[in-house]
Amino acid sequence: MNKNGRFMVGLVGVAAVVTYLIWTGVSQTMVYYLTPVELMARVEADPTFHEVGVKVSGQVIKGSYARVQGELLHTFLVMDLVDESVTFPVEWRDALPDTFTDEVEVVLEGRMRADGVFEATTMLTKCGSRYEASPEDLAG
Amino acid sequence: MTLFIGASLVALAVVLFILQPVVKGLHASLERDEFELTDTEARKRVALLALRDVEYDFLAEKLDEHDYRSLKAELTAEALAALEADEQAQSGAGADEDELEAEIAAIRAGLGAGSVCDACGFSNEVGSRFCASCGQAVAAEAAG
Amino acid sequence: MTILGEFALWIALPVAAWGMALGFMGGRTQRGDLVLSAERAIYAVFFLLILASLGVGAAFLGDKFEYWYVASYSNRELELFYKITGLWAGQRGSLLFWALILAFFSSICVFQNRDKNREFMPYVAGVLQGVLLFFIVVLLFADVNPFERLAFTPVNGQGLNPQLQNYWMTIHPPTLYLGFTSFTIPFAFAVAALLNGRLDARWIQLTRRWILTSWLFLSVGIIFGMRWAYEELGWGGYWFWDPVENASLLPWLTATAFLHSIQIQESRGMLRVWNMSLVLMTFLLTIFATFLTRSGLIESVHSFAQELKIAYIFLGFMGTILAGCIVLILYRLPKLQSENRIESFLSRESAFLFNNLMLLGFAFAVFWGTIFPLVAEWVTGEKISVGPPFFEKVNFPIGLVLLALAGIGPVIAWRRATKRNLRKNFIIPISVLLAVGTTLWFSGARHPLALVTWSICAFVLTIIGIEFWKGTRARARIEGEGYALAFMHLVARNRRRWGGYIVHVAMVMIYFAFAGAAYNVDERFHMLPGDVVEVTSPFGHTYSLTYEGLTVSLGKGDRNLLWQAIAAVSVQQNGKQKPLMTTEKRMYVTGDLPMTEVAIRSTIREDLYLILSALDDMEGAVNADANAQGIDLQVLIKPFVGWIWFGGLMLAIGTFVALWPSVDRRRVALEARSDAAAEPAMAGAAD
Repeated sequence: MNKNGRFMVGLVGVAAVVTYLIWTGVSQTMVYYLTPVELMARVEADPTFHEVGVKVSGQVIKGSYARVQGELLHTFLVMDLVDESVTFPVEWRDALPDTFTDEVEVVLEGRMRADGVFEATTMLTKCGSRYEASPEDLAG
Repeated sequence: MTLFIGASLVALAVVLFILQPVVKGLHASLERDEFELTDTEARKRVALLALRDVEYDFLAEKLDEHDYRSLKAELTAEALAALEADEQAQSGAGADEDELEAEIAAIRAGLGAGSVCDACGFSNEVGSRFCASCGQAVAAEAAG
Repeated sequence: MTILGEFALWIALPVAAWGMALGFMGGRTQRGDLVLSAERAIYAVFFLLILASLGVGAAFLGDKFEYWYVASYSNRELELFYKITGLWAGQRGSLLFWALILAFFSSICVFQNRDKNREFMPYVAGVLQGVLLFFIVVLLFADVNPFERLAFTPVNGQGLNPQLQNYWMTIHPPTLYLGFTSFTIPFAFAVAALLNGRLDARWIQLTRRWILTSWLFLSVGIIFGMRWAYEELGWGGYWFWDPVENASLLPWLTATAFLHSIQIQESRGMLRVWNMSLVLMTFLLTIFATFLTRSGLIESVHSFAQELKIAYIFLGFMGTILAGCIVLILYRLPKLQSENRIESFLSRESAFLFNNLMLLGFAFAVFWGTIFPLVAEWVTGEKISVGPPFFEKVNFPIGLVLLALAGIGPVIAWRRATKRNLRKNFIIPISVLLAVGTTLWFSGARHPLALVTWSICAFVLTIIGIEFWKGTRARARIEGEGYALAFMHLVARNRRRWGGYIVHVAMVMIYFAFAGAAYNVDERFHMLPGDVVEVTSPFGHTYSLTYEGLTVSLGKGDRNLLWQAIAAVSVQQNGKQKPLMTTEKRMYVTGDLPMTEVAIRSTIREDLYLILSALDDMEGAVNADANAQGIDLQVLIKPFVGWIWFGGLMLAIGTFVALWPSVDRRRVALEARSDAAAEPAMAGAAD
């Protein structure tokens, strides 16, 4: 029984270490995933929210994309998927993903600067529309 | 029209294929093949393989002599028990799985076949009179 | 043909139901006729699914755009190859393809076992049919029927996403599906063993080959996926902790755990409940992986669909299987438990158990990280996201422990390792570990994670190298053979062990390559024709890259391609001329923005990776305007990446070695004996 007891302790110990790693991992690396509406609300309510890393999903506004020549800088406007009146500008300092189009849905990670511009560090474009089409799309 | 005929033929063929055994009383075997491994044979094979591995490990100098002898003694006893159980099973005496389990467990705990030296605890080969590790005389004859 | 295929799918439904019912009934009542019918039903379902798949293929080849699925993933201009492989281009066809492969493996299993393992087969057939039935039901009733027709016939289809028009992307899903579906077979045998109570050593030996094969497919499938990402996604990365990637990793981890712990069950009769649970978990995780990629529940670069109905159906199925198996395991608990205990902390059993725990810990972390956002949203209403930082933080330490165990496991003694044994077997490898670590430190390679990883790699390689060396030498001495022959015979005599060692070496190579990422170089330049830039590799040499200019070709024979803008970059390494590299932008008929094709130059030490990020003036470039040749070029240097692919190859080789059948001498001897016995038996039968 002594041996078994020791093994249970060992097992529990290992499980505890892994759990601890996961716990701190999540709490230290998780980011809020907000819509533009939620982001603006947070920023208004809490000015220090500018420091916080967040993930935002929205849609690029048609025609808002611009590329700053000479610098590796792209700018565009993102609007909320539901309430299109809520928008904010984005700065992106990296190569554009191939799937970036004029009205693409994007998921951005970064932070909202004090001047109201969102500095994005990661950008994911939603490929959803590329893989699935609703039958109506084919009516053309 | 051809499509309809084709589809019906497919459906018919499939249904006939599946129902035939039930209707005509064709049976798939449910018995164990006599060449198949039985449980006792499987254990015997594992025990013998383990012995072989120990030999190779010793020859490859992964085990030193002391560990080798000790391990070999245990494994030999287990292999013997497994062989015995298998013989019993094959001759139809019916090996009792639980008995076999218990016997192997006992061996692993150091009791049963093979002698454990009282002085140093070394597990000696079956039939040893003196302990291979410390030289003390070992308790009487081993069983099996 | 297509309509016939659709019809075949409908017929498959009652056939599968019949097969499942009869399999279980036949096993219960021990009636051979029911069982035969059930087994035939498996062949029948396979046949019908072939017809269904051919039906879909015919629709693609015939440009039948009245079918929603064909219209969504094909167009008239699509290359023949992608029309043929269109079956698995999208969600619906993939599910049918999955069912087809499962039916294929089920047929092989039933055929292989027509004369053996008969006590298991009725239930095995029942379980396999059950899973097939599930997929058929999903296809027919969950709004994912590949034969669904539109109310009208479009003139042309939407075409295939250009990122999918790539060799690796076409090969990757099938290899993964081969891995996922083949796990159903061991699962079926495990359930059969639980049902008929034959929980002894045999069911492990029966299923070992299948599990190893599935594991091989899964490993290869995952590596192919990494290769695709590396070449096609154009960021120079090969793993993103994407939910779908994670989903394919989970069953791989539990299957690896299982492969190791069955050795303990075999030699010491322990961990039977554990092993049963691992088989069950692996199967459930393969279904989970299917579910994750088909339900759109988690956003991902891969997600195919958004329907929720299918999510409920999959969850229901998984829940039922989980509940059923737990009940079965509890019912058989007495038979599964063994009296044996691990004798010592320092023993191979202990190392294997620890290895299992680490693998499961890894899997748990990946699983949790993947679904945490969902759970958090459900519980708190907050939407949060968990990304690569989490996975790296948690998994790197666990991964390193696993790597070390890959070296410790093979040489630590069974039952109890004495101090002598430890000293003998570990003193050299640990010295090598320290020596390598110190050398790296002093030569400037001080990145902590990379340093530790490479030191442990050296440790494991030393151990395995010594194993091979000692074994070969011992055999050469005993058998009086030359070393080369001794080596081959050594491996041949114990394929499992040595094949396993080869796989461990492969894992070392892969870890070695992963650690190279610590020294990645990433630079961006704006270049005009004639510009030269220099990029220094972490190995010290310098690349001089000269942008030669842009060539544009229009159409180029591929009917789906509008134009290609190819940037040529000539490469010099420390002054020596190397082959020209080209990276391009391609505009497809069906695209909105051009796709990037990268240029990769692979050497043993590193990959030089060039990306044409942007054209200054796309219109001008396409119109061959001499002033519009400016580009943004991204240059990456990725140390050791080539070792991942090489490691993958070694892994496959090692698994083949472990799988290779050895002649069952006992069986041959028995057969010889039985021939002699046959005559009197036949005489006896005449009575």
